[in-house]
Amino acid sequence: MNPFLKKLPYWILVVAAFALLAVSGCKDNPADPGEDNEQELITSVTLNLTELDAAGNPTATIVSVNFKDPDGPGGTAPTIGTLTLKAGKNYKGTIKLLDETKNPAEDIAAEIKREADAHQFFYTPKDGIVGRVTVTITDRDSRNLPLGLEYNLAVTAGAAASGKLNVVLSHYQPASKKNGTTRSDESDVDIDFPVNITN
Amino acid sequence: MKQFSGKILATIFILLAALFAAPVFSSADENSGKTARLYGAVFDKESKQPLPGANVFVLELKRGAATDENGAFSIDGLAAGRYTLVCRLLGYEEMRKTVIISTMNLKQDFYLKSNPIELQGISISAEKNKINLTESSQARQVLSEAELQKHRGQTLGETLKDIPGVTVLQTGPAIAKPVIRGLHSQRVLVLNAGVPQEGQQWGGEHAPEIDPFSPARIEVLKGAAGVQYGAGAIGGVIRLEPRDLRKSGGIGGELTLNAFSNNLQGAASLLLEGGLAKWPGFGWRAQGSLRRAGDAKTPAYHVLNSGFDERDWAAAIGYNAGRRSLEMHFSHFGTTLGIFRGSHLGNVTDLLRAIARGRPSTISSFSYDINAPKQNIRHNLLSLKSRFELANLGRLEMLYGWQQNHRQEFDAHAPFSSKPPSFPSFDLTLTTHTADVTFQHQPVGNFFGKVGVSGMRQGNVLAASRSLLIPNFRAYSGGVFMIESWVSGAWTVDLGGRYDYRWFKTFRRIDDNVVERIHDYSNVTGVVGLIYQFAPSWSIGANLGSAWRPPSLNELYSNGVHHGTAQFEIGDLNLQSERSTSLDLTLRHLSARGRAEISVYHNHMHNFIFLFPDPEPTLTVRGAFPTFRYQQAGARLRGFDGAVEYQLSELLQLGAAVAVVRGDNLETHEPLFQMPADRLRLTMHWHLPDWGRFASSFFELNATLVKRQTRFPQNVDYADPPPGYSLLDINLGTEFQFGGQPLRFNLSAQNIANQTYRDYLSRFRYFTDDPGRNVVLRLQMPFGTSE
Repeated sequence: MNPFLKKLPYWILVVAAFALLAVSGCKDNPADPGEDNEQELITSVTLNLTELDAAGNPTATIVSVNFKDPDGPGGTAPTIGTLTLKAGKNYKGTIKLLDETKNPAEDIAAEIKREADAHQFFYTPKDGIVGRVTVTITDRDSRNLPLGLEYNLAVTAGAAASGKLNVVLSHYQPASKKNGTTRSDESDVDIDFPVNITN
Repeated sequence: MKQFSGKILATIFILLAALFAAPVFSSADENSGKTARLYGAVFDKESKQPLPGANVFVLELKRGAATDENGAFSIDGLAAGRYTLVCRLLGYEEMRKTVIISTMNLKQDFYLKSNPIELQGISISAEKNKINLTESSQARQVLSEAELQKHRGQTLGETLKDIPGVTVLQTGPAIAKPVIRGLHSQRVLVLNAGVPQEGQQWGGEHAPEIDPFSPARIEVLKGAAGVQYGAGAIGGVIRLEPRDLRKSGGIGGELTLNAFSNNLQGAASLLLEGGLAKWPGFGWRAQGSLRRAGDAKTPAYHVLNSGFDERDWAAAIGYNAGRRSLEMHFSHFGTTLGIFRGSHLGNVTDLLRAIARGRPSTISSFSYDINAPKQNIRHNLLSLKSRFELANLGRLEMLYGWQQNHRQEFDAHAPFSSKPPSFPSFDLTLTTHTADVTFQHQPVGNFFGKVGVSGMRQGNVLAASRSLLIPNFRAYSGGVFMIESWVSGAWTVDLGGRYDYRWFKTFRRIDDNVVERIHDYSNVTGVVGLIYQFAPSWSIGANLGSAWRPPSLNELYSNGVHHGTAQFEIGDLNLQSERSTSLDLTLRHLSARGRAEISVYHNHMHNFIFLFPDPEPTLTVRGAFPTFRYQQAGARLRGFDGAVEYQLSELLQLGAAVAVVRGDNLETHEPLFQMPADRLRLTMHWHLPDWGRFASSFFELNATLVKRQTRFPQNVDYADPPPGYSLLDINLGTEFQFGGQPLRFNLSAQNIANQTYRDYLSRFRYFTDDPGRNVVLRLQMPFGTSE
């Protein structure tokens, strides 16, 4: 008999042992899904606008508008409020971004401020308020390029109107450098807030 | 301009063909007195009866003839030289003879030994000819080792592109998913050394985890092949076979080195194999390969972050004692690949702006760096294969496979941060055990056949996820099948049936509770095939098959944004199995001068699962995303594909391959999304005469013409299909005899005109062009001794 054949049962054993080893060494327990990794979300975006008087000083009148999507993308649709502005007034504004899935809620705006060189907000009036509303960013990053957590909003005098204010947060990469004017292909925020201008 | 360039290219091609043909014709005239005819007949060894329909092939010339009613064959126009003849017939052992042709005609008879066990394409020989008139009632194509050599170093998908009816769904240069007659992913089964590859085929950017250097032979079965291979193989089967293990003593191997100009890719593979003279039948093999590439280059710019780094190795050991054999294989596949930076998009507005811009906003110089977004993939496969010949009963084969697939995907950056993420956004480990037992019975009269059972156990563990693609699951499946063939003279009739059952349970964490859900599916698969060899060199095959596929996990559970295409995908837990019922007709021809395989098919898909746009977009803080839901509807896929080769002269061979597929949704009466465009490939292969120590030299010119896809559903896609294109490739190969071993050189240039184009099936066609010119140098050095 061939010497190898004599040892065939031995080889089968070796191979089987190897297979068992390989199998037992593997991670295979689907029955216990791990905790989801902490996922950063923006669940709330609020524009707070303080009305300024003729001299440019803040008044006690504050208007705001809020976007809320507590369960994140998908699931229940977000709720979006309406911003009411007065014709012929100037406002000083801020934007607040929160992750309310965390407890306490996480301040995303603070994070964006830390990464100011890689972010920029774009405030674009749309529809019936085009030409009536102007937004000027007032805060700067380390290279003196606009950031947009703080801004001035001016409404021209005239008839009542309604439209939308589009708020975009662009995220930049080293390769697609922020230049202060061009949006990037990565929007972290893109919301249309309905706006009414009243007299 | 683009439409014209196709015609211009075709004209240039024909002119060149004529140019090359002319001197060949004249030289053939000069040498007409010097060529010889080889003729003879093929007989059954025992009964001495002539055998019609056998194929006699001249290996070196890649041509041959089939025997007529009297078992006779004749091959004309052989120049003086040494040739290897291969004689094959279904149900007989293959026979090889070496002959020396001088100026005289030569008679060579073959006496074939009956071997009905070798039926049904089980036997694998590395240089099996592409077309066998009576082997399969289904459209089927084989890439031999020689053909694979021309594509070494490229992805599996790229390698298969030469087969008519096969295209690729491309996500950058490193990710190529084979598409067979318009179907891909879960619908195409990849068999790696007999084991069904269980990787993570959930998305278009998940390519099969295969070392492109390892297969010695690739076979593609087009259309449903569920009886043999189980539920799922509804679109086609890709079988990858490694080299046979050595049976005799000695040690040998092969070193392959590749260099690519486009992405400055370097690739190397070293294969070692051996046997022991003391123990004939014992053999081993070890193989390792490396592939490293930087950013690919379109004619105008580099595609940022499109490099890859792949390291694979494999080992096998086996013992073949004639009547029984045992083999063990282990292979490891490991790659890290970059995903084009510009494909990471925030929302649809961003996507539309990227499309409008026409070129990426982020262009930089060439680099080998691989940064996020990237994928990290490991695939380990262990298989054990055993065969027993049972006297007077038949053959028993057992196959066990264990495989583990680990996939990590990294997003471009952690949210709201410029830093690369510290942990993957997606981390999956899929572990699969498969076992198959097949029994092939001894022929009973004219009946040949086999029965089999197979089982699978699978577990998927999700370590991290930012977007829910698939949940954790545990799956079991099993099947039984039987195939019988009746072979008589010019007729072969196949009949097969199979039953499969699949059960799985998913585990999801919802609000701190583990939610379990069970899904189970079962169904039958059937096939009726017919082959009629109506003339010595012609056969026709008809195949009526019905196969099914249970819905896959992503189709059931997806719920999130797909980066890159910026769409929100939502699965449906109530999807039913889909079923394909298809009729294929295949005409085959094989003669001394030409060969052809042309198929037409009609595939009716019942409950076809696809993504359908939802009228309401999903509104998120990042803007509105178009929403797609997995839905089911009747669909129809029909078309034709085929290849024709014709030996114009002794040295010049012309070839053409065509593929046309039409997919329609039968409910909305609209074309299906992402169907491959019509394509035509013209090939001119010129055998160059031996010169000094250079032998087996050839020059090949290929033109690929792809039409624009004009059939697509309205209001689904962001951009219309790109224009058609045409590409010209050249390939030059030779063998240099060096110290008793051949040294094989291959120099090819793909897209030699540096054409700017985008393919409809490239998932990056929205943002970037496909790669430009690529000059590839391949060196292959076999070595070895025998005892």
